[in-house]
Amino acid sequence: MPEFFTNIGTLISGSFLQDGALWTLTNVPGFPPIIQSVHILGIAVVMGSVVMLDLRILGLAVPSQKISEMIERLMPFMWWALASNFVSGAFFLFGRPNRYFNNPVFGWKVSFLIPAILIALFFHIMSRTEESYWELNSTRLWAARGIAIVSLGLWVMVAMAGRWIAYAEYLYFPA
Amino acid sequence: MISNFLRSPKWIDVENWPISWEIGGTSWFPFLESIHVIAAAMVVGSILMVDLRLLGLAAKRYPITTLSKELVPWSTGAFVIATITGIGMFITRAASHVLNPAFQWKIFLLVLAGANMAYFHFKMYKQVADWDTSDTTPTQVKLIGSASLFLWAGVMLAGRWVGHIV
Repeated sequence: MPEFFTNIGTLISGSFLQDGALWTLTNVPGFPPIIQSVHILGIAVVMGSVVMLDLRILGLAVPSQKISEMIERLMPFMWWALASNFVSGAFFLFGRPNRYFNNPVFGWKVSFLIPAILIALFFHIMSRTEESYWELNSTRLWAARGIAIVSLGLWVMVAMAGRWIAYAEYLYFPA
Repeated sequence: MISNFLRSPKWIDVENWPISWEIGGTSWFPFLESIHVIAAAMVVGSILMVDLRLLGLAAKRYPITTLSKELVPWSTGAFVIATITGIGMFITRAASHVLNPAFQWKIFLLVLAGANMAYFHFKMYKQVADWDTSDTTPTQVKLIGSASLFLWAGVMLAGRWVGHIV
């Protein structure tokens, strides 16, 4: 793990952030499974928005929907879900910072998440520069397909890595 | 009778199948679990889009029939994957899962969500032409759409809770 990453863990550890997160996780009845479900619901919205968009661009889903219209309509859902998942995830991250910032699987998750977010942003920003930006000609459409397949893979890996954070020993200390 | 079924020693036999041991004792378990999360998120993500349309909250430019024709196959396909991976995890601890209140709730809510979908599909869908393209739908359709949202969110919550009880 890069040093700055583990340093974040050390910084949060013992701070009011950890105290607050741990207090909430232990004192609000049912809080851990509830906030985890909120986190998974956020993933569901990511699946219903940006992943559906990727599948549409690849010609695999919702053929009657127009790409530019989908971007305008679905991306706001995706940004709200992402914000919600930052908050729901933060409770666990702050509660046990070293479990995450010293965990290579969490490192994997972050390294999949950052490019996935940047790609979504790129799709969204470019589609605002010009009417039907991604469908204008075949070069644009092929570019969009290339990006969409990367985006799709990244989001699947983000969710996978997220679940494997709890199983890091299976990967790093095999039987 | 149901208590006898849930307490049957057969569930222990299920846990002792070679495949149950293989999954439970290896990285097959987290692998199935992560596929389960992705498939479940896909089920809810695709159903959510249809439900929000039924409620008149999103995608109003598309007819309900078009949306459900294009999205429900994704829900169904993802549901099949979630069921297969779910059974794979279930058999590793079958005897404790059947007695786990969170697991019982999950199955109960799944049945309700299925009944809700069946009612919509076989009963309400007959009159779909009346509100297929309109922004607002009849109250009954809105109720079905919101019931679907809450039931699937409940299935997720109960499913996540299973791991906190076992």
